[in-house]
Amino acid sequence: MSNSTKVYSVFLALVAAWCAGIVLAPLLASGEPRVSSLLYSIYAPICHQIDARSMHIEGSKLAVCARCSGIYFSFLISVLLYPLFRRLASPGVPNRWWLSIAILPMAADVFLTITGIHPGSIVTRAFTGICFGAVLPFYLLPPLIEAVTQLQTRRHPRGGLLYARKAQQT
Amino acid sequence: MLEKPNKLRVALISGVVIGAVSGIPGISLINCCCCAGVWLGGLMAMYLYKQQFTEGMPPLESSDALILGLMSGVVGAFVATLTSVLILLIFGPVEAEFVKSIFQSFVERMGESGNVPSDLVDQLKDQLDQSIRDSARISGIFGNLFISLIIYPIFAILGGLLGYAIFRRKTPPQTTPTP
Repeated sequence: MSNSTKVYSVFLALVAAWCAGIVLAPLLASGEPRVSSLLYSIYAPICHQIDARSMHIEGSKLAVCARCSGIYFSFLISVLLYPLFRRLASPGVPNRWWLSIAILPMAADVFLTITGIHPGSIVTRAFTGICFGAVLPFYLLPPLIEAVTQLQTRRHPRGGLLYARKAQQT
Repeated sequence: MLEKPNKLRVALISGVVIGAVSGIPGISLINCCCCAGVWLGGLMAMYLYKQQFTEGMPPLESSDALILGLMSGVVGAFVATLTSVLILLIFGPVEAEFVKSIFQSFVERMGESGNVPSDLVDQLKDQLDQSIRDSARISGIFGNLFISLIIYPIFAILGGLLGYAIFRRKTPPQTTPTP
């Protein structure tokens, strides 16, 4: 298994675990209330967790709001599908304009809600979050894989060289 | 060849910014949007670090972004906890009540204008009360520090890597001579 595949697999596992926690919090609310409240408290610093702005499973809200859920789950799906679109070892990232375009719907939704022009709904919040989250892995994964490879090369120069030679051969 | 700029200074500056944004009640609400304050702190660290590079220095690498994000996140977690404790010690509930009154009037205004449903206004008030109560407990302080030490570095690393992807100088594609 190449170094980039290892980094990708670990990252995918972490993102999947993060998303699993979001869903597990409401699912465990009735059976394991302690674990459920622990999960809610882990996600509390990063999301307001307002009931009216969250999606629900079995009568309980997810551990994060609809917008955050959209971001994280689309991020997970995007990471999962990433190898179909780009080579893992490729260090390049898309043009930064794509990131701006992806943020635009979310920024517009927040602006319209704050100004009172158009009160957002769960659907608009989730959708705008999905737009942003789906694009992020294409900017985060290449530098992450590159960074871990660089750090490993510094720690194990020979291993790094071997990796570089292998990568060159493939 | 010159050495790369020192990361510690930039990490301390951005860590203090992360900590201030996350520790001051009211402003810390920015973190309710997927830890945006911490993300932006990591992004800022990368921008500041890149500004320090001059001619003759080795190029900026993605591992710099990773390390810088990690350092900023750790500093930010400690500074955020320290800031909230200091605010609590100095101002006590007075500051919390002040922030609460500002926040409540803001939420009520939004409720009156019809932008926010009335049940949501009540929920926001309850959550603010709960967060003020939690922040005052010793266990709450250490609990927050523990969670911050896990979450802040992760999000600051992501912010740093995003900053690297945005701010890095594009190298022109190398052309290989054809025989």
